[in-house]
Amino acid sequence: MLGHRHSSLWHMILAPTVWAVHFCVVYGWTAVQCARAGGPDAARTGVLIATAVALMAIVVLGWKAWRQWDYLDDFDYVHDQPTTEHRREFLGHAGWLLAIVSAIGVGFNALPAVFIRSCL
Amino acid sequence: MSAARPGLLCAALLLSACSGEQSVLAPAGRDAEVLATLFWWMLGGAVVLWLLMNGLFFYVTRIRPQALSPRAAEALIIGGGIVFPTVVLAALLSFALSEMPKQREPGENLTVRITGESWWWRVDYLPEGSDTPIASANELRLPTGQRSELKLNASEVIHSFWIPALGGKTDMIPGRETRMSLEPTVPGDYRGQCAEFCGESHALMALAGVVMTPGDFAAWLEKEAAPAAIPTSAEALRGLAVFNAEGCGGCHAVRGTEAAGTVGPDLTHLGGRVTLAAGILPMERDALIRWIRDPEALKPGARMPGYDHLSDAELSALATYLEGLE
Amino acid sequence: MTDFADTFPPRGTRSNAEPADPQPQGIYPPTEEMLNEPVDPAIARAQENRLRAVWQQPQGWRYWSAVNNSEVGAWYSLTAFAFMLAAGVLALLMRVQLAVPDNDFISADRFNQFFTMHGSAMMFLFAVPMFEAISILLLPAFLGARDMPFPRLSAYGYWSFLIGGIFVLGSVLFDVAPNSGWFMYPPLATEAEGPGSDIWLLGLSFIEVASIAAAVELIVGVIKCRPPGMRINLMPLYAWYVLVVGGMILFAFPPLIAGDFLFEMQRSFDWPFFDPERGGDPMLWQHLFWIFGHPEVYIIFLPSIAIAAMVVPTAARRPITGYSWIVLSAVGTGFLSFGLWVHHMFTTGLPSLSLGFFSAASEAVVIPTGVQLFAFVATLMVGRVKMILPMLWIAGALAIFTAGGLTGIMVAVAPFDWQVHDTYFIVAHLHYTLFGGMIFPIIGGVYYFYPFITKKKMSDRLGRWAFWLMFTGFNLCFLPMHVTGLQGMPRRVFTYPEELGWNALNMVSTIGAFVTAAGVLVFAWDLLRPKSRQPLTERNPWGGGTLEWAHDVPDPGWGARSVPYITSRYPLWDEPELVGRMDAGRFYIPDAPEGKRETIVTSAVDAVPQHVARVTGPAWCTIVAAVFTGGAFIFPTFHWYPPAIVCGVLAIATVLYWLWTSTAQIPEAPMKDAGLGLRLPTYVSGAKAPGWWAVFITMLGDSTAFASLVFGVFFYWTARPDFPPEGADHANLALAALAAALIAASWGATRIARSQNRRGNVARTRILLAAAPVLALASATSLVGAVWLPDMDPVSHVYPAMMWALVVWFCAHTLLGVIMQGYCLAGSVFGKLTPRYDADLWNTALFWHFKLVMGLVGIAVIALLPRML
Repeated sequence: MLGHRHSSLWHMILAPTVWAVHFCVVYGWTAVQCARAGGPDAARTGVLIATAVALMAIVVLGWKAWRQWDYLDDFDYVHDQPTTEHRREFLGHAGWLLAIVSAIGVGFNALPAVFIRSCL
Repeated sequence: MSAARPGLLCAALLLSACSGEQSVLAPAGRDAEVLATLFWWMLGGAVVLWLLMNGLFFYVTRIRPQALSPRAAEALIIGGGIVFPTVVLAALLSFALSEMPKQREPGENLTVRITGESWWWRVDYLPEGSDTPIASANELRLPTGQRSELKLNASEVIHSFWIPALGGKTDMIPGRETRMSLEPTVPGDYRGQCAEFCGESHALMALAGVVMTPGDFAAWLEKEAAPAAIPTSAEALRGLAVFNAEGCGGCHAVRGTEAAGTVGPDLTHLGGRVTLAAGILPMERDALIRWIRDPEALKPGARMPGYDHLSDAELSALATYLEGLE
Repeated sequence: MTDFADTFPPRGTRSNAEPADPQPQGIYPPTEEMLNEPVDPAIARAQENRLRAVWQQPQGWRYWSAVNNSEVGAWYSLTAFAFMLAAGVLALLMRVQLAVPDNDFISADRFNQFFTMHGSAMMFLFAVPMFEAISILLLPAFLGARDMPFPRLSAYGYWSFLIGGIFVLGSVLFDVAPNSGWFMYPPLATEAEGPGSDIWLLGLSFIEVASIAAAVELIVGVIKCRPPGMRINLMPLYAWYVLVVGGMILFAFPPLIAGDFLFEMQRSFDWPFFDPERGGDPMLWQHLFWIFGHPEVYIIFLPSIAIAAMVVPTAARRPITGYSWIVLSAVGTGFLSFGLWVHHMFTTGLPSLSLGFFSAASEAVVIPTGVQLFAFVATLMVGRVKMILPMLWIAGALAIFTAGGLTGIMVAVAPFDWQVHDTYFIVAHLHYTLFGGMIFPIIGGVYYFYPFITKKKMSDRLGRWAFWLMFTGFNLCFLPMHVTGLQGMPRRVFTYPEELGWNALNMVSTIGAFVTAAGVLVFAWDLLRPKSRQPLTERNPWGGGTLEWAHDVPDPGWGARSVPYITSRYPLWDEPELVGRMDAGRFYIPDAPEGKRETIVTSAVDAVPQHVARVTGPAWCTIVAAVFTGGAFIFPTFHWYPPAIVCGVLAIATVLYWLWTSTAQIPEAPMKDAGLGLRLPTYVSGAKAPGWWAVFITMLGDSTAFASLVFGVFFYWTARPDFPPEGADHANLALAALAAALIAASWGATRIARSQNRRGNVARTRILLAAAPVLALASATSLVGAVWLPDMDPVSHVYPAMMWALVVWFCAHTLLGVIMQGYCLAGSVFGKLTPRYDADLWNTALFWHFKLVMGLVGIAVIALLPRML
């Protein structure tokens, strides 16, 4: 389904997908812990674990995208030629940028667990 | 925060006054003070950023500078689009997140249960250690120097409880109990208003917020807990007779009398309140008469029927009786 | 040299024994010599005549049967604009009422109808449809395509939109409009008397369905209808935004449709989804509404930014700087915008931790938005700016939008939002984002693209007047509202007392509203004034670099004379010979020898030619289908169920007639000469066919709606201690298991029928296709029995109601699946579906893949999950 990463739009959006999954997991986990069981400490621990996992996944995806972008071979960041190489590097570049924004998003989403200690 | 800067900014915004009994910018509670200060900081930052962004745009479109190199342009995107906002937003977010639990800390000593009705507020005081709630309506009195707990609920539709001078708002949702806490600092009269659209007369669902010193509050609460004053004047007694004959007690309670209805607001100390009909009328004799004669005209959709069949004398007597319920 | 690798999605899903589709043959990409070779003028003229005849619009009253994107797009835009003017009039009436305190210009109830309708109409009848309208109008031109992939679907969407819009908006004239706010919070809206709430729910659901149809078509348009050579890294930015926004619509609208479904079940049949007395919870609606409602804001904003992304390079006279950055920003915003919905619910008393997540995401989304704006500034810095009139509107948009964005940062701070939520501060904030993020860029876009659409120019002078009137009027109206809100004035109040210090501010806002309206009128006049005496514009009046400016003047109606081979992001700048070659018919499909409307279909990532697709022509069946669909949605508003059911059946019949007579038609020959030495198949099935993609994308959206219902089950479980109630009856396990087995069998029969048909076993195919619907119907019956037998009364409590809702969902989809199986069976019997031409069966099998997963998950949630909770 995903196809080869060099020519796949799906690979490009994997990092933001990790953000989305992380978001749903921390929201759902917190809702259940605060409403049904566990309480704030369980909620916060879970959020921090989920964040660590998500960040690791994003780092891996970002690294792969960086390799695909292959910036250091020609220092190209425009990718406007009609070639397979430019298309591959473009998808890598966009994927890398999305990984950065996703990492920021995941990091932001962990901050509540750092600052807020109760379910109130 | 000095008074000068907000004052200046207010003038700049062509604003008659930042004060006003329902203003976010005239805080009289701990939470509202923090949020007002936060606002002025955010406003300052926003104005600077707005000027920078639009100034830059104006500069590149109108003043026609030397064309920039693509690499410098890329650096602008990275610096302005990613690095700068990430840092600033992380700082702002951290402040916001650390402030949130402070504003939601559980209250002590006093709990007030407030229920949103169509379109008025049921207010029950539950002081620490007391087992029966002290019923009141359409007015919230709180002492300074402590954080009081508010338990919020609604009977039919969603409302939102809000006294801007004291702090933020919290929705009142049927079937759920929401909570908040307030820590007033400056005694005085403030106005609150329902903030969630709740039907036809949503605009006419206000609330008097009265902040008192702890001593005054304790005295007032003791009085509020007592049964209603017994009418003495002949006029007031005639009013009581009208009250009973018209069956007002079917909906309203006046503690210490046979009137024990729970559909409408508790009237035990009606005359002692600052406003009438959920903050839309002054607590005056004429207003009472107007209200009883035709609530629909003053509050479209109000549940209370009109009593326009009563004679002027009867209405006058009734108003005298109610005014006397201090 | 020839490279027909199609890698997105990959092949290999079909078994080896099945005969494969014919593959493209010949040379690709074309060589420079081939492109340089002149075309014989006599041949070119003959081709032109044939093309003109094929693409000619119907004349006279038959004009309204047109389905071409240039006609439907124009009607769509003008209709949305008309609805916007109507909603604007409501706003002016409200501003009159609020000009002075204690005013009685309009009554409380009427005011409530007006603000409900103002918001609903601006969102559902203007902002989202306008995106779809403009995209339908422009996208094919950006992509050098002849038309959208499914023109009749666009037309059906348009007529549905028109009928639904008039119905919903017309209710204001009869004083029965919805009056519970555009957000329709229960219990207020569920308990509201009169048909208002039903008009909102059913009328707008109808329009939402049309919106999703348009989104599906736009996504397929971007993925499959690009010109050969336009790889994903060369796509015009507008196409990127369309792709992202289309995807967002697919995931944002279905939760609302699921919510509407639950809501209407409560209104019509008293199933207590939002009634706390019987275990329901009004908060579920808020979640479902805002899961739609916040992405919606970005669904409105991104396409307008997309227009700016087309105007800015033209004004700067150079390619956009940071193409990858803008793609990042569009995709990133698309994702992050789904993590914001609770910031509309900051005051509902959710735990601080939960609020924190949404506060964080609301701040994070600023980053891609900022990147977007900086990319524009950077482009202008690198280029040499010519301040054309559209750029003035873009500059105004930036000034307004940045202000709205900055207040957005403020209200994303949850504690600050506790103060300003539901006050005029928010009214100011949202109008700043919408005027800056939608109205101004769109008007700039209208000035920019008007010469493309009508081949006439709008007036520069009137444009400046309109701009300055709207810009000053807007700020006069909405800047003071920030202060009004901070002074404590709540939203949605029909009046306010004199003594609170809001009087002057409100009066200024009212004056500003009328100045804005004057600006809108000037613009409307400039847009609509007769221009028959005005000369035609030149072909590329702004000197743009993208393909839409290759269209000829006057417009011959065929879109692109020949579909070009593209090697650059700005082909008109980089390839001087391109337009001449297009005009000469040098490129692909320059002819229409069979007298059929055609467009070229390419692979998703590298735009390698795959197929010449026949697109549908003028038809009345789309209007008839829209009328009956309208009836099916509108009659239930008044609880007239029999005519609604009749309309529903007729709508399905009309759609089947439409599909049968015009889609997946067996071509005269399996291959045709596409020009430049390339021979392409005229019929494909499976993942190469646009129709397959349409089903795939539609089912993604449908699965989202289903997921929303499942979310509802989990929501009740976390929010209510009595879900499921102690000792409640659960669904019958045996019958539910039987339903699961039968639905899997029906799926299996459909899937096997597909490969049997491919192998030429027509008799076996027909037997399987005859058995599959029987199995499916048996499955549905069995599942109904599973909740019927234990006497789970949906009116008694939300638990049985929710289970019944899932059963209703299951049955409706089963019926749809059965119709599709029957359609394939009929196709096989009557020769529309053969072993070689089997696209319908592929699409049906694809539907059943989704149906199977949803069915099994649904049965598990009905029969297993409650026993575990």
